[in-house]
Amino acid sequence: MTVRWFPDEMPMPAANAETAGWWEAAAEHRLVVQRCDDCGRTRHPPGPVCPACRSLAAGWAELPGTGSVFTFTVVRQAFLPALAGQLPYVVVAVDLDEAGGARIVSNLVDVDASDVEIAMRVQVVWEDMGPQLAVPRFVPAAP
Amino acid sequence: MSAARPRRAVIAGVATSDYPLLPHLSEHAVHGQAADRALADAGLTFADVDGLATTGFFPMYATGVAEYLGLHPLYLDETNIGGASFEVLVEHAAHAVEAGAAEVVLVTYGSVQLSQMGRRLGTGGGGGAGFAPGPAIYDALWGNTLVGCYALAARRHMHQFATTAEQLAAVAVTMRQHAATNPQAQEREPLTVADVVSSRLVADPLHKLDCCVISDGGAACVVTTAERAADLAKPPVYVLGAAHATTHHLNVSASADLTVSPAAQCGPVAFARAGITPADVDVAQLYDSFTITVVLTVEDLGFCAKGEGGAFVEDGGLGLGGRLPTNTDGGGLSACHPGMRGMFLIVEAVRQLRGEGGATQVPDARIAVAHGTGGMLSTGATVVLGREIP
Repeated sequence: MTVRWFPDEMPMPAANAETAGWWEAAAEHRLVVQRCDDCGRTRHPPGPVCPACRSLAAGWAELPGTGSVFTFTVVRQAFLPALAGQLPYVVVAVDLDEAGGARIVSNLVDVDASDVEIAMRVQVVWEDMGPQLAVPRFVPAAP
Repeated sequence: MSAARPRRAVIAGVATSDYPLLPHLSEHAVHGQAADRALADAGLTFADVDGLATTGFFPMYATGVAEYLGLHPLYLDETNIGGASFEVLVEHAAHAVEAGAAEVVLVTYGSVQLSQMGRRLGTGGGGGAGFAPGPAIYDALWGNTLVGCYALAARRHMHQFATTAEQLAAVAVTMRQHAATNPQAQEREPLTVADVVSSRLVADPLHKLDCCVISDGGAACVVTTAERAADLAKPPVYVLGAAHATTHHLNVSASADLTVSPAAQCGPVAFARAGITPADVDVAQLYDSFTITVVLTVEDLGFCAKGEGGAFVEDGGLGLGGRLPTNTDGGGLSACHPGMRGMFLIVEAVRQLRGEGGATQVPDARIAVAHGTGGMLSTGATVVLGREIP
């Protein structure tokens, strides 16, 4: 039994050749970042070509799942009808540890919105949205 | 635009359509109204047009407008980089007439977004729906919204530079002061900083009144050469220089630094091509999707140092007689924001340079800058306009 934060009616990711590996890792509750096989540059979201050296060769580097809040907002008016009942919710941009500067947009959950601050430490938690789909969200890191 | 420019691009005609609420018109009818008025303003007719530049939210958009307007242009451009598109279309049109690829380019925009959406404030859109395609899912899956992206930038700017909600609010207050003198403006009631910061939060730290309105409306301009414009109806306004830039697509996670917009790249290039500096600019028309957009833009175009945008815009800094009179028609925050507002920036800049600014005319305005911002702070485009060649 997994914790659910967002409803079933959320849009599902349409994985493609570039992103499938990321979602497959996520389904196993592994937070990864795409890394160029040739120059080592990391990138997120996943993409087809290294933006530094234009290599097509890339793999997935496993991350510790911790990071720091780069910036955040508290969404109080949803665009997706599915999220109307979830308001307010916190959207964060997280600087991921050991990710070579890559950043992810996600949610900070299990937190009072008024307690969120830039630079606060966070760690990943996983929400299973289906048998083959898990989504990383973040919670304040244990002190 | 090369150093040697025997043919000089000018804007010979401008117009806005009716706005902000046009339930009786289709999108293409709005194009038609704006285009007809812009050509009349120039003293030209549709028969003179040999180039068309326009864009919307569907592929092959310009060909549709050409068909509806009965045009068979030899020059066609529908470059779309979001809200900055129309600055790019004017830049391209200037290149085209200077290269001799066209003589008279009609640049036109039309939208009935408000009537189609049935809501008045631009606060929620952009989260994606259903199966989010491609990389967009990497923001959409977490319920981030369009205003949420700009809120992430605003929060970061506040953190790094101690920018305040009251400073952001000052942008909306000044735009409303300008809108009060524009009989067409969507919102004209006086506004205070306290009103803005006490309006409901949509995505912290942005309030409802930090967000642009959503409107119906359109606008158009006519780009031709100085030679062709010499005997036309209105004094020509020169396209002195232009440039555009992009930092990322639609995922703010892919932006290196959310506090720096593409204006930092294209602004200095446009000014250099125009042969001017920011200090030479008399009046500015800056894309104001959200209050933070304007703060970032005045910094990145070099009107003040990075981090000083909050202080620059407060205390009437963007008002008449202020540090940089901006959005003299009331802007997207109060006057009209029909999906993509870029064409309105050009129209108002030209009106100011002609002395047609009415109650918000900047005295003896000689050089104006129009800067569009598109996507999630993803794109920027700067056009420098002048009454004469400096």
